[in-house]
Amino acid sequence: MKIAMMLRDVLRSLFRKPVTELYPAQRQPTPVQLRGKLHWNPEKCTGCCLCIKDCPCDALELITIDKANKRFVMRYDVGRCTFCAQCVQNCRFNCLGMSSEDWELAATDKAPFTIYYGREEDVQSILDCFAETGDRAEE
Amino acid sequence: MLGQLFALLIFPAGLFVLVNGLVYHWISRKLVARLQNRVGPRWFQPVADIVKLLANEEIIPAGVNARLFAALPVVALAGALTAMLYLPIAGLPPLHNFPGDLIVTVYLLSLLTLCTGLAGAISKGRFSVIGATRVLTQLFSYEAPFLLALLGPAFVAGSWQIDEIMAHASGQWLMLTQPIGFIVALIGLMGKLEITPFDAPEAETEIVAGALTEYSGRGLALFLLGREVELVGGLTLIAAFYLGGLHNPLDYVVKTLLLLLGVAGIQTVMARLRIDQTVGLWWRYGALLALVQWLALLVSQGVFV
Amino acid sequence: MPEERFSIPIGPQHPALKEPGHFVFTVDGEVVTGASVRLGYAHRGIEKATEGRNWVQNLYLLERICGICSHIHATAYCLGVEKLAGVTAPPRAQAIRVLVAELERIHSHLLWLGVAAHQAGFDTLFMYSWRDRETVMEMLERLTGNRVNYSANILGGVKFDVTEPAMDAIRHGLRFLEERTSHYVDVVREDRLFLQRTEGVGVMTRAQAERLGVTGPTARASGVPRDLRVDAPYAAYGDYTPRIVTETAGDLKARFIVRLNELSETYQLIRTLLDNLPEGELKTRMPRRIAAGETISRVEAPRGELFYFIKSEGGEQPARIKVRTPTLSNMDSVVRLAIGHQLADMPMLLAGIDPCFSCNDRLTTVQTGDETRLWTWEALRQYGIDYYREKV
Repeated sequence: MKIAMMLRDVLRSLFRKPVTELYPAQRQPTPVQLRGKLHWNPEKCTGCCLCIKDCPCDALELITIDKANKRFVMRYDVGRCTFCAQCVQNCRFNCLGMSSEDWELAATDKAPFTIYYGREEDVQSILDCFAETGDRAEE
Repeated sequence: MLGQLFALLIFPAGLFVLVNGLVYHWISRKLVARLQNRVGPRWFQPVADIVKLLANEEIIPAGVNARLFAALPVVALAGALTAMLYLPIAGLPPLHNFPGDLIVTVYLLSLLTLCTGLAGAISKGRFSVIGATRVLTQLFSYEAPFLLALLGPAFVAGSWQIDEIMAHASGQWLMLTQPIGFIVALIGLMGKLEITPFDAPEAETEIVAGALTEYSGRGLALFLLGREVELVGGLTLIAAFYLGGLHNPLDYVVKTLLLLLGVAGIQTVMARLRIDQTVGLWWRYGALLALVQWLALLVSQGVFV
Repeated sequence: MPEERFSIPIGPQHPALKEPGHFVFTVDGEVVTGASVRLGYAHRGIEKATEGRNWVQNLYLLERICGICSHIHATAYCLGVEKLAGVTAPPRAQAIRVLVAELERIHSHLLWLGVAAHQAGFDTLFMYSWRDRETVMEMLERLTGNRVNYSANILGGVKFDVTEPAMDAIRHGLRFLEERTSHYVDVVREDRLFLQRTEGVGVMTRAQAERLGVTGPTARASGVPRDLRVDAPYAAYGDYTPRIVTETAGDLKARFIVRLNELSETYQLIRTLLDNLPEGELKTRMPRRIAAGETISRVEAPRGELFYFIKSEGGEQPARIKVRTPTLSNMDSVVRLAIGHQLADMPMLLAGIDPCFSCNDRLTTVQTGDETRLWTWEALRQYGIDYYREKV
């Protein structure tokens, strides 16, 4: 009849540090494959919209500034994204990638959750447009 | 008069015992956590729990006798605190003593358990009633062996007064001469405090919180404080009898912490017993061991020779 | 004198349940004399939601039916859709699917061990087994990019490759896990106090198991030698066949031992797989419109047999997807076996089948009387509207 079979584990733990990671004081390094926040590079985008077609959560939207010159702005809603990386799979020109460092995405209000990716001047023109019309839905 | 009031309310009874209970509760949780390879709560956790509970709204279930419902936690805590008057808290001599105060103390320590059982019985929830049944069933199982184990040193000392027993036990560590009695007493204390493996009355994965399910706010805070006072009281009693008496505060701290480590260790390596298994264990092995110890004592004292 | 009939509700909110489900036990003192179960509290309308999304989007929706068995849901769906489209994923992709599925099995069984120990009041085993589970979670994060909801599958293959450093990390982690698992097998087999809670509790004979239709480790603990990875191999299981682990006692202790022994088999399988991973591509072309037809897909989830029915009408969206999870078939056994046991055994009995209520979320209608009703979508919708209108 054996009792207290966990005794050896328990006694060993008395002489060891606890295994708890004291986040946020200590942070383990994240693996390279971690699927964190999405990043988009506008330089190679052709506007095929395959990423948007297969996104399960409607987190991506492509706003066309100039179709002939392939100038687009992508609106990415972090709050809706499930970080599945289907968009990364679909893109044939490697415009999209998921960051392995940007994964602490908590914020105290909704503003940081809508991200506009694109060239500086394009994003600015979009934001000015919204400020003028005052209503995002009309864009 | 003022000195007596101070001794009663602040130190060594009253406030000191409450604080002591909270500290020992924290130490016990921290020990269990470290034995499980994790960090454990910070020092103010038990205090924060009690403060939060005192601030919470107290909800009295419909159809329950409100006066009794509110009075039971007060009586429970009062009983536990009164028991402290006869114990050598902090290694200082007991505040009061009279012949037979051992029995009174043990009864007062059981008052908390009785109040818990009654509280479960009067709150009309199903979980409370089952919890109350289990509390009282467990009380009937461990009480007799526990009492016998505490009476062992009393018999050897020839007195039923706590400070005389302690004086007699001071030279020798009765843990060595009455080892069976010591073990029964320590495990009995775990039964009284509803510590694993005897936490069937408040098995959270079966009956939510057992007898105290319907309690909230101040009532629950007082019950929990009562439990912590009882922890201190039980440890003091066993240390006073079996670990060679408590003569000064350092002695008290060292010996009670030693016992607490033992309790935490046993708690960590055991699984919970069902209530029928608890009863079976106590009425078979517990009672048997206590009687064997008593037989040894009677023979050694020359009663049968 | 009529006996006191006391009915104890466990759920929908109860510390014994990690997810909502409603059990009603009629007790006499501490002995259970009757039991009934009611499910459907985690119903999210997933099967209906699949009809409004295209085939690729559904992969991610179905993956989130359950957190612990998410990969196997995705695998079953992918295998079914690939069958309809007449496409086979390349061998390396199938092998990686099996690798992630087996790692998920390890994760699931270790999680279950902790939860079942917690139900028994054995918190130490709970803490230690969950600490060891972190090893497999880190392996999965390193391999797939996430600790749960791995999203490893795509229609036609897998998303990522297994590199040499990842393989070494997996082998290293497996050595640690193997040592811990054999320790847990000893604890479960021999610790007297734990045995008192598990030995002889919830005994289900082989005949009962076959009649009640239980699947997975619950059935294998009663001696039913059924394992879909061996009986109907899918993905790469034709090349890497595990051994079927059975026990004959049929009680809770047997269920513990079966799951822990399955872990040992899994470690062996993963090692063989890593040593013999076939070369090749990771994916193959899939059409956007899947050919019309119906198909079924059966896989061995950590809890038992997972069954998918997929119907396509040739479009970009499925016509109907039906999911039957293993917990649904195992749930009845809890109700049947409960009678005669003590109330304190109920959480343990429930934990013994490894319940996953969120997998279970098919619609339940409570029948009163003898009439049978068939709900159409419109009738159900109207019922919901009327119900809430009346409430307000």
